[in-house]
Amino acid sequence: MEPTKNFNTTPGMAGENFDDFKAPLFLAWQINSVCNLGCLHCCEEAGHHIPGEMTRDQIFTFLHQVREMGIPYVAISGGEPLLHPNFFEVAEFIREAGMSLKVETNGEFIDDKVVDRFAALDFRSVQISLDGATAATHEVLRLKGDWKKSYTAVKKLVEKGVTTEIVFVPTSFNIHEVGEAIDMAHDLGCYGFYTGKIMRIGRAALNWDKLNPTEEQYKAFFKTLDEKTKQYENKMKVYYYPYDVIEELKYRLEKPSASLLVVPNGNTKLIGPLPFICGNVKEQSLAEVWERYKKAWREPKVIEFTKRVIKDPNLLAQSNKWQNVF
Amino acid sequence: MEFKKNVQVRKEKFGTVIFETLKEKVFVTNETGAEIIERLKEKKTPDVIVNELASLYGASKEAIANDVNCFIENMIDQEVLAR
Repeated sequence: MEPTKNFNTTPGMAGENFDDFKAPLFLAWQINSVCNLGCLHCCEEAGHHIPGEMTRDQIFTFLHQVREMGIPYVAISGGEPLLHPNFFEVAEFIREAGMSLKVETNGEFIDDKVVDRFAALDFRSVQISLDGATAATHEVLRLKGDWKKSYTAVKKLVEKGVTTEIVFVPTSFNIHEVGEAIDMAHDLGCYGFYTGKIMRIGRAALNWDKLNPTEEQYKAFFKTLDEKTKQYENKMKVYYYPYDVIEELKYRLEKPSASLLVVPNGNTKLIGPLPFICGNVKEQSLAEVWERYKKAWREPKVIEFTKRVIKDPNLLAQSNKWQNVF
Repeated sequence: MEFKKNVQVRKEKFGTVIFETLKEKVFVTNETGAEIIERLKEKKTPDVIVNELASLYGASKEAIANDVNCFIENMIDQEVLAR
């Protein structure tokens, strides 16, 4: 997220760059690594606990700092965040502090009680991963997944007035169904439909040859997205990021975002596709981690490695083999 | 007048950052913009804001009114502020 338009500023003015900000604008927090599914395209390689996951005390020490620094917007993901024992306590803290909160979930643990709690917490949105308009398509990618449960979760959330979005990751298995999936999202009453090119990181990198859509498939995909964007204009937000992860890295090298990505053990990554850790919120204050983040993007080893990845995308497979910048 | 739901406002050294978190759009203002925003957060009306800023900057109310009203209209157009 970058400053887009501004009211009283001119290009080059303060607020144009990430290091103008006193604190991050956005916190992406993978609260756990545990997941009930084994998705072929999971960029986090989620499934089981990882060593050193934050304890309840560590989580709340961290959250107090998030509030004190004035971070306006938090996204919680996992793993599957609803499997975290402190999920609702955390969500309540964030909402009581007045921060916007987005929850990214597979939707399989959203029953009537959970829907009521979500509605009461008034999230910015709940994003449900639905990788197909049919169970067969969704479940071939989301191993052990249950399309019906996710679909029902979306339906129930919308009925209770929760801002709900669907996230769809295109692969060679499901890309043909994107148009139907968008229609389904609209018919369900979703606020938005999010998609973009699959990222070659995590388990997706391991399964890349069978997952990566062909150029022709992507051409048809983006054509459908253009059509659906027009069809649902002013009715539902159809959002797609047209760039792949390499294009994203080229951009971020010049213009890092004012955001932090914290993983379940407190490590803070520079960005998902790179292996670099700039700090750990269990060991350093959040303010210190933010300073380290800003400094890390200027480190020669980060710049050099990122340039190598841009030249050789095979190196993206190292994104989850964390290495400390400092 | 009030900021819309999902809009977050934070003071910065250079002014203010306004984050429309639902649309994920970020706007920044300079220090003068921050003065207006602080007063809007305190639920002050545009007239009161004009008077206060005219006094603060020692400028004519007409000139300040024009700037304040343009700024507020801009925020309404960008859907971060509701009448």
